[in-house]
Amino acid sequence: MSNNYFNTLALRDQLEQLGKCRFMHLNEFTEGVDALKGKKIVVIGCGAQGLNQGLNLRDSGLDVSYTLRQAAIDEKRQSWKNATENGFTVGTYQELIPTADVVLNLTPDKQHTAVVNEIMPLMKQDACLSYSHGFNVVEEGMQIRQDLTVIMVAPKCPGSEVRAEYVRGFGVPTLIAVHENNDPLGQGLALAKAYAVGTGGHKAGVLMSSFIAEVKSDLMGEQTILCGMLQTGSILCFDKMIEKGIDAGYASKLVQYGWEVVTEALKYGGVTNMLDRLSNPDKIKAFDLAEELKDIMRPLYNKHQDDIMDGTFSSGMMADWDNDDVKLLGWRAETAETAFEKTAAGDMDISEQEFFDHGILMVAMVKAGVELAFETMTAAGIIADSAYYESLHETPLIANTIARKKLYEMNATISDTAEYGCYLYNHACLPLLQDFMKKIDTDVIGKGTVNDDNGVDNARLIEVNAALRAHPVEHIGGILRGHMSDMKAII
Amino acid sequence: MKIQLQNCQFDFEQRFQLKDINWQIQAGQHWVITGANGSGKSALVATLAGFGDKIAGTVEGLVESVAIVSFEAQAALIERERKKDDADILDVIAVGTAVHEILAEGDVNASIVEDLVEKFALKYLLDRPFRALSTGETRKVLLIHALATEPKLLLLDEPFDGLDADTLIMLQRYLAELSHSVSIVMVLNRCDEIPQFITHLGYMRAATLAHSVARADESAYRELFQLLHLETSDLQIPPTADSSAKALLNPDQPLVVLNDIGVKYDQLKVLENFNWQIDSGQHWQLCGPNGSGKTAILSLITGDHPQCYSNDIFVFGFNRGNGESIWQIKQFIGYVSTALQWEYRVGTSLRNVIVSGFYDSIGLYSKATDKQRKIADQWLALLGMEQRADQSFNKLSFGDQRLLLIARAMVKHPPLLILDEPCLGLDDINRQLVLALIEKICAAGLCTVLYVNHHSEDTIAGIENYKNIEKNSTNID
Repeated sequence: MSNNYFNTLALRDQLEQLGKCRFMHLNEFTEGVDALKGKKIVVIGCGAQGLNQGLNLRDSGLDVSYTLRQAAIDEKRQSWKNATENGFTVGTYQELIPTADVVLNLTPDKQHTAVVNEIMPLMKQDACLSYSHGFNVVEEGMQIRQDLTVIMVAPKCPGSEVRAEYVRGFGVPTLIAVHENNDPLGQGLALAKAYAVGTGGHKAGVLMSSFIAEVKSDLMGEQTILCGMLQTGSILCFDKMIEKGIDAGYASKLVQYGWEVVTEALKYGGVTNMLDRLSNPDKIKAFDLAEELKDIMRPLYNKHQDDIMDGTFSSGMMADWDNDDVKLLGWRAETAETAFEKTAAGDMDISEQEFFDHGILMVAMVKAGVELAFETMTAAGIIADSAYYESLHETPLIANTIARKKLYEMNATISDTAEYGCYLYNHACLPLLQDFMKKIDTDVIGKGTVNDDNGVDNARLIEVNAALRAHPVEHIGGILRGHMSDMKAII
Repeated sequence: MKIQLQNCQFDFEQRFQLKDINWQIQAGQHWVITGANGSGKSALVATLAGFGDKIAGTVEGLVESVAIVSFEAQAALIERERKKDDADILDVIAVGTAVHEILAEGDVNASIVEDLVEKFALKYLLDRPFRALSTGETRKVLLIHALATEPKLLLLDEPFDGLDADTLIMLQRYLAELSHSVSIVMVLNRCDEIPQFITHLGYMRAATLAHSVARADESAYRELFQLLHLETSDLQIPPTADSSAKALLNPDQPLVVLNDIGVKYDQLKVLENFNWQIDSGQHWQLCGPNGSGKTAILSLITGDHPQCYSNDIFVFGFNRGNGESIWQIKQFIGYVSTALQWEYRVGTSLRNVIVSGFYDSIGLYSKATDKQRKIADQWLALLGMEQRADQSFNKLSFGDQRLLLIARAMVKHPPLLILDEPCLGLDDINRQLVLALIEKICAAGLCTVLYVNHHSEDTIAGIENYKNIEKNSTNID
């Protein structure tokens, strides 16, 4: 029986935990990987995160091996192949867990309860258990042996990026946390920092957070702007273009690659820069559309945040786990059948600027989604830094996955938890935007505006520019991107 | 006018031979021939004036009306004057031929002579004996004479050499005017002197015309200059920052020992029982066909291959898999490959790309020191790219990117420099550019070079050890 840990806390403690988030300075990592040096690290699970984090840790001079279920080893499953082909020692829980000083649990959320219950009795006295997502602890209330140190190290990128950035000599932004109920020796922070150094995360920026802030912000971001909004937006934009007689190959390509192109501008210079890529009349149009979208979608964002906060979301999803994922699998199949998913991108050239000019609605959707998610999170007590990372910062990363293989790739890359939340959002958002979409024409999606003259009203342009720049997500984004670019001279 | 040399071979008094010459000069074209010393530039141009014995090939369209100004012609005239002196049996001091007499020899246009004497300000020496002139003065006299014969084809070998700035400008203007009616072919060693009217560039290398490029083809034109720069300048490999990794090595230990190496993926064995030792100062060439495991061997050494942890590998004092980090290994290695170039898709400046070699990173994530920046600028100067230091790397041509990555690999003077098929994907000019740079690096003796190529005949001067691997990947039964 799960027992929501967050809900057991008093309001003041909830707020304190939600508000934990501090951008750490590079000079806080001068000890390097010392705290983990010579310790035996055993990774559970060898999927994308498990394998790539392990490769990085080993290349940082640490002792890494993998433990898999007996069946995965016997059947030489992909996880076994991943580990052995990369020259790692692989053994069963019984063989390796008792030798481990640090156990990295990098299995999917859904398996956490079973896995942790199985390994806990096998773990050494005073060992450390690490998560890369706090769902099990926060939403399921997993109780962990009191002698064990419990930490979280969560690279804010897909596993393949975690590896690729390390090999380049850099890293990906990483969130670390120590579970305050399980830090008996007071060494949690030192271990988490060493782990972040081992994966290269310290070079790209580390956020010191809490299990609770990570879970509540991560769930919100992934359900709404990151995956949900992009999925809903993809379907609506594509269907609208088809309805208006635009070539299906073109429509498919504009949407599939458009998110990546427009959010690249977001990555470099925030919402302001993304809109600055449009002509002045188009910018004003995108701004107005986004304002309208925000008004329509705000109750939905609030509902998602409320459901996440009070545990409604997680208990609903866990009910689906117990029901053999019927809902998740059904929604996944449904997504595969959408017209957008089934229409191949055409082989025409679309210039970088054309993605903006013909995708004004997409720009508006990204703006609305990012700002709403950020506003909702901060209103719920999540600190701006966290809210920024879980909204604006991650949007381009998810958009990249759509560019690779549409919604299929996105949903395959993200966790089952994110995927479940994404579908929930999509189902609520599609009908919500029905009336709005009726008025939409090809000037804002597919063909672009035909302005013979780029004239705009001065006062209105000043107003729009000021509003863009004054949004709090732009304020914190400016600071955090500043940190990032200090460390990473190039992006 | 159309001059055509096809598959020609010329002999110059058995001292020098031009070979495999293929060259076409069309009406309206003006050429500069360049190349390293001894590459045959002057000889090539002289063939247009009928010099050299043709041994093979066909020559068509040579013009009668041709004038040549060269050191050789200058020397021949001075020699003639000296012989006149020797031949004189009278016991008087021979004064030799006066300049104005030389200028009147043959079929010359006197008004042109007059005009040019004025322009070159040579009036003061018209009555002097030719032999008494300085080298620069004789050169001017020869030029005036050649121009006064009103040739259809004018051949000028280093015409700007030794001219003062004012004369140089005057002559360039004059030639520019002349180029409307006369075809001009000149030999030049300095790229910055090429006049605007020149339409084509020929590059001599090892006694053959290796490249012919139209000026309109801007990128090829620029690459030829770079090649000229690398082959002809007296290049010094820039120093490195104070803390070279070399100091950390035990000089008595080999750099690399690979012992009974095996690499396999699933059902495919890529390497088996492979052994290799690389000692410091031993340059190696590693050869083998595609799929023979060359890249696997290299990545075991660099630490990029995950199976380096499950093999017996000693590199730079470390037995791999004992708590060393990959960065401790990479600090000893400079590495260039096509794969690295694909990876290096960053919009950073050329200078930063070179500096990133100090950190073994793709892109630059640390603040460069002034010293590092200075060294990077010295490398850029060596590559002839100093003007482009702040340009974006991903805007460079493929060949220039490769050169820059070699500089990046060398910037820290790594004990081991690995060049994995450094010429792959490059055209001929760029290949030669890269090879010229590598030869400079080998000659400097700063690092042990490991050069990988699948053609064993593509050798680099200075590399004497060869390791050949056969295609040996096998399926495991």
